[in-house]
This record gives sequence, C-alpha cells and structure tokens, in this order.
Amino acid sequence: MEEAEKKIEEKKDEHKVETKELKIKKSYSQLYDEYYRITFVIPILLLLISLGYLAVFYHNNGDIIRKDVSLTGGTTVTVFDSKVGLSDLTEKIKVDFPDAHVQGISDFRTGGQKGFFVETKESADGVKKFLENYLGYKLTQDNSSIEFSGSALSQGFYKQLQTAVLIAFVFMAIVVFIIFRTFIPSFAVVLSAFADIIMTLATANIIGMEVSIAGIVAFLMLIGYSVDTDILLTSRLLKAREGTTNERIFGAFKTGITMTLTAIAAVGVSLYMVHGLSDTLSQIFIIILIGLGYDILNTWMTNASILKWYVERKEGK
Amino acid sequence: MKIGIRTWILIIAILISILAIRPSFNSGVLVKSVDMNSSIGNEGLKAGEIIKSVNGVEVKDKEAYAQAISSIDFNGTEKKIIIVTEKGEYISLTAEAPKITVDDVPKTKIQTGLDLRGGARALVQPEGQINEAQLNDLIAVSRNRFNVFGLSDVNIRGVSDLSGNKFMLVEVAGASPDDLENLISQQGKFEAKVGNQTVFEGGKRDISDVCRNDASCAGVQSCFPSSTGYGCNFAFTVYLTEEAANKHAGITGNLSLDDTGQYLSDKLYLYVDDKEVDSLLISANLKGRATTQISIQGSGSGTTQQEALDNAKVSMNKLQTILITGSLPYKLNIVKLDTISPNLGSDFIRAIIYAGIAAIVLVSIIVFVRYRKFKSSLALLFTSFSELIIILGVAAFIRWNLDLPSIAGILATIGTGVDQQIVILDEAKSLKVSSAKEKMKRALFIIMSAYFTSLVSLLPLYWAGAGLFKGFAITTIIGITSGMLISRPAFAEMIRKGEE
Repeated sequence: MEEAEKKIEEKKDEHKVETKELKIKKSYSQLYDEYYRITFVIPILLLLISLGYLAVFYHNNGDIIRKDVSLTGGTTVTVFDSKVGLSDLTEKIKVDFPDAHVQGISDFRTGGQKGFFVETKESADGVKKFLENYLGYKLTQDNSSIEFSGSALSQGFYKQLQTAVLIAFVFMAIVVFIIFRTFIPSFAVVLSAFADIIMTLATANIIGMEVSIAGIVAFLMLIGYSVDTDILLTSRLLKAREGTTNERIFGAFKTGITMTLTAIAAVGVSLYMVHGLSDTLSQIFIIILIGLGYDILNTWMTNASILKWYVERKEGK
Repeated sequence: MKIGIRTWILIIAILISILAIRPSFNSGVLVKSVDMNSSIGNEGLKAGEIIKSVNGVEVKDKEAYAQAISSIDFNGTEKKIIIVTEKGEYISLTAEAPKITVDDVPKTKIQTGLDLRGGARALVQPEGQINEAQLNDLIAVSRNRFNVFGLSDVNIRGVSDLSGNKFMLVEVAGASPDDLENLISQQGKFEAKVGNQTVFEGGKRDISDVCRNDASCAGVQSCFPSSTGYGCNFAFTVYLTEEAANKHAGITGNLSLDDTGQYLSDKLYLYVDDKEVDSLLISANLKGRATTQISIQGSGSGTTQQEALDNAKVSMNKLQTILITGSLPYKLNIVKLDTISPNLGSDFIRAIIYAGIAAIVLVSIIVFVRYRKFKSSLALLFTSFSELIIILGVAAFIRWNLDLPSIAGILATIGTGVDQQIVILDEAKSLKVSSAKEKMKRALFIIMSAYFTSLVSLLPLYWAGAGLFKGFAITTIIGITSGMLISRPAFAEMIRKGEE
C-alpha cells in the first residue's frame, strides 16, 4: 500500500516538473520561432567560409589537405630510446633531411619518454644510416620499427581513399533518400554531413594537421556519426505525430545532444589515453572530436531550421 | 524482471563469442615453425603443436623451453632429444638444438595484427602488367623459396586494389631476417656461364639436387683475417641433370688448358640476376666430361669472425635456395616494407584497453546522471560490453588479425552503439501516447536507417589501398551488424520490460 502511495506522489511531482518545463519551453519556443532563420544562416556562412578557405588552401598547396608520409610516400622510423634529446636530434637531422619531423612517444601513465619517431619523405636506408650514426648503435627489430612506403604506392592509396570517401558519401546520400523519400529533408541530412566534413577539413588545415591514412578513415567514420543525429531529428519530425514541431525538435535535440556529448566524452577520454603513444589513433580521435563539435552546429542549427521551415510550410502555417 | 527472448539471444551470442575467444589454460609452448630439413622436422613435428616436455623436463613457457634446450650439452656429439607434445612423442638424434621456433601458448584465440605483434610486411609489385594466374605462379614460387630458405611462419597472398593493380603481400610474423628485402625482391636468376654460353641455370630443369645440411658436401670451410675484418669461404655440391651435364661437356670440350696445365683456359662464372657473384677455375680433368657434380663456392665477410661466419652461412643458404627454386618469373619492386618491433605492441594494447574501459564507464556515468535510472545505465553498460565481446568473438572465429585500424573500428562501433542506445532510452521515456512497443518500433527504425547509411559508407574501404585498411571496415561492419541484429533489440526489450 505504502509503495503505491509513494508512486502516486512521485507521479504528481513529475507532473509539476513537466508543467514547469512546458512553460520554459514555451518561451524558448517563441524565441526559436523568431530566430530560427538566423540560426540557419550562421552555419551556412561558416560552411561558405570553410569552402573559401579550402579553395585558397588548394590554390596554395595543390591539395585540400596536408598529407603525412603515409600518403606522400616516405619513411617512419620509430626508436625505443628513452634517453635521446629530441631537440638536438631534430637540429642535426634537419641538416641531412630538411623535411624530417621528430616526435616523442610517451607513456600515458608516467608521461615519461619511451622513444621517438622520425618521419621523412626520403627512403628508409638513408634515414636508418643517419640514425645509427647518431645513436651509435645498430637499429634492429628489437629496438626499432621501420615503415617505408614508395611514393607511387602512397599516392595511389591517397587517390583510392579519396574515391572511397566520395563513394561512401554518395552511397550514404542514396540510402538517406531511399529512407525518407522526400527531397528537402533528405537533402538537409546530406548537407549537414557535407558541412561536417568540410568544416572539419578546414579546421584540420588551420591547426596544421598532417593527415595520414588513418585520418582519412576518420573522415569516413565521421559520415556515420554525423548522419546518426540527423536521421534521429528527421524521423522524429516527419514520422512522429505527437506535439508541435518545436516540441518534436526540442525532444530530438535532448536525445541528440546526449548522444553527441557522450560520444565527445568517450572519444575525448580515449584521446587522452593514447595521445602520447599512437599517432594513428590520436589523429582519428582528434578528427572525430572536431567533427562531432561541428555536428552539433550543423544538425541543430542548419538541419533543424530547414526541417522546421519544411514542416511548417507543408502544414500550411 | 523477466528475461525476454531477445535478451536470451544476446546472452547466447555472448556465450558463443566467449567460446570462440576461448581463453586457454594450456601450459606448454606453441611450435611456431619447424625446419622441414632438420632431424626433428623429419620426425613429423609440426607447427601448431604444443610442447609439454623436453627430455622429461616439463616446459611451461618459452623461457623454460630455452632453459631445457640449453641444458643439453651437445659438445659436438649426437644427443637423443625427446619432445612430448599434446599429439605425441618425437625422438630425434641430433648434434644441434632442434631447428624450431616456439612461443608461449596464446591466452586467447584473438589474433593481433603485425602492427601490434611485431613482424615484417612487404607489398611487392611485379614489373609490368600481370594477370591473376601469373600472380598465383609468382606467389607459388615465392612461397617455395621462403620454405626452402627455412622461414615457415610466412604468409603470402595476392592482393589487388581499386585501380586494378596487383600486388604480392608478404607477412612474416615475429623476428624477420635482416636481408628480408633481398629475399623477397631478388628475382634470383642464377646462371653459370663459360664465356657467354650458359652451362646451367637455377631450377629443376638443370639442377637435380643441391646438397644442404650435410657436412660432407656443404658447409663453411675456412675463415681468415682480411683487410676489413674477417672472411669465410663456403662450398656446397650441386648435382646437375644429365642434360645440363652434357651441355657442360660440350662447352668445356672446346676449351684449351691454361699455362699451368692444371685448369682450363676459361673459368666458370656464376651470375645472380645478371651480376657476377663468383668465378671458379675448372680442373683440367673435367674437360669435355659430362660431370653431374659441381662444387659451388662463395664467401661471406664481417668485422668479427663470428659475423663473417654467419654471413657466409646466410649467403650459402640464399644461393642454395635460388638454385633449388629457380628464378622468379618477374622482376619485382618492393613498394612498401614495414618491419615492426614487437616492443610497443603490449603498451598499445594496454592503453587501448584502459581507454575502452574508461570510455564505457564514463558514458554509463553520463547516462546515469542524465536519466537517473540505475537499471537502464546498468543495461547500457552490459550491452556495450557484450558488443565488445561479440566483435572479438567473431574476429577470433574468422581468424581476423586485429590491427590498429581494426581497433579503431571497434571503438567507433561501441561509440555508435551507445548513441543508439540513447535513442532507445529517449524513445522509451517520451511521455506521449504511443505504446511501449510502438516506441521501440520507432527507435528501431531510426537505428536501422543509421545502420544502412553506416554500412554503405564503409563498403568502399574494403577494396581501397590493396585491402590494408580492410580491418577498420571489417570490425565496424561486424559490430554494427551484430548491434542491429542482436544487442539493440535486446536492449530495447530490457528497457521495455523495465518500463512496463
């Protein structure tokens, strides 16, 4: 008996909270009705700026990204030596290999140096000899890893990965159109994914990232992550019959933002754990983090505005 | 709470996955490779068996094995070695340590990729366009060459990429020889010439047998100090076919004797890939004779005598290998060569496991804070871990090597999995009219749509880049598919039962 009473009490409380929430929502709702066109314009402007930036970047660099050696061809030598002074090594290696890039590897628990790696577009033999002279010992499989890719192969890989991203995007768009079967909502989903990728690309360039093969794979992952929230929003808005447009958007927003924030938290903590150890995984996580950030903007400002406009026009409001 | 049918399916899937991963409690050491020309190889010991004891001493790990072997005092005499595996007993009489490589028995059936386990990987491209059959020929000859050389833990397969380029992918697990590059890419065209006439070539047509591992007709003969350190000479006997022997007779018959009268006026020159590697004086008594036995000589050098000796042995083995296997049908270019140290692998794995656990726990806390429902958060935690187990189980079952891209794929999948569970939670929470079943239907529609968009966006990766990034696509596809079919319906059911 007591329990049943308790439940009723709880229900009452819930109801109170609900009416309060509704009031707040109402004022938000009015604000949203007034300003949703502006929330649409901001990300679109950002998209145009990003596209412009990428065009200039392409003009200056001959490509839309900075590529690391996995995409240009070259050598990465990883040496497990905790005592080498990295600044001295960098200074000396630049004399023979001006394009060389030296970076430390550290343990995430102690933060101590575990070793370092050197990247250069040159072939493996020269770098190996230089390092052996510098370090004063032979590089073997016990103390080092050496990865070499020929430039023709790497450039081939790059082209294929570009094709893969392009095909993936087209496939995704086709599936979205098949699912929703109406042009404007489907187009909004695709536009939002496109904007995520373009803005992330521009940001990666601005922070000076040298994109690796893994980085391009991360852009593929971004397509999937990006579309998730858009599909959620579109389905809630078009398929559900309950509540007003704004209520449905707010409801979807609550779910979607929880999704994106948990993803950001999960990826963020993973990045923290691997950042000193694996360049490959770090880059994947950084790109996804940036992309998820922009996805909030593109889903809940661009896509939501387009859908709101579309639904209200359809309902003859 | 009653457990519904979908949850049962999930539980069964988890159990099957654990069975596929099968943590092993076997003690002993796993035989990674056996030199088929050695005495223990002749006894029938095969790679994959688990050694339990050596000469009655129990071996629990590879250190114990090394100790057991080093405690046998060979001092140049033949000793009896009894190796007991789970399959049987192998007794061999030998004057040297068994030519096998061993490793600890893996604790699970999960296999890690080269970038975590260490090893070497080469992507080799033949010069000019070749078709599928030609690529298979090339692979067969190369595989034979690795076997003859004594490297058995080698995986060779053909791969092609989106642009239709064909490659041979060579993967060597664990420690790889220093001169792997040569071994892979050297075409190995062996020719023995007098003047510009070929007496014999490497391969079956001219060579009937090559002496190896027999001290009476093959070995390093002498070492001596040289200007750069030390040098060692080796020699081994080659048996020619009758046809080649007759050719030898014809060609030497036309030669005259040199000034000393002991040798013929021209030498027998040995070429490997059109480069002269050695020249041999031909004894006068061989003139015009159809000899089937020829002694091939060469040398190795090094800064110390041991290094020179080792180099001479390796050179001899290489020369013997190409004489037996013959020339590769194509000139090859190594377009990618990675030799990965096994040292960082365990650090990687530890960091990734910590990252995974931290991420899942953090997400569960966020979900708990957001929804204030202990049971739902627990269900989410359970589902995420079960997805991890199912992906690992399937990977172990299809013997997929988990490399870094694969692991990135697993992390991505669990991330999207959590996202979709949040969709389910929110749909269930929505206060409005629809029945619990209807809500779940809508949630599953969203999930299904997301599934198909993810699936099609991953497919192109399967073929790009000679399949080297397949891992990411494979683990992600396994993950999202099992998620859609098994764990999402189960989670939806758990939440629905919880709401009802």
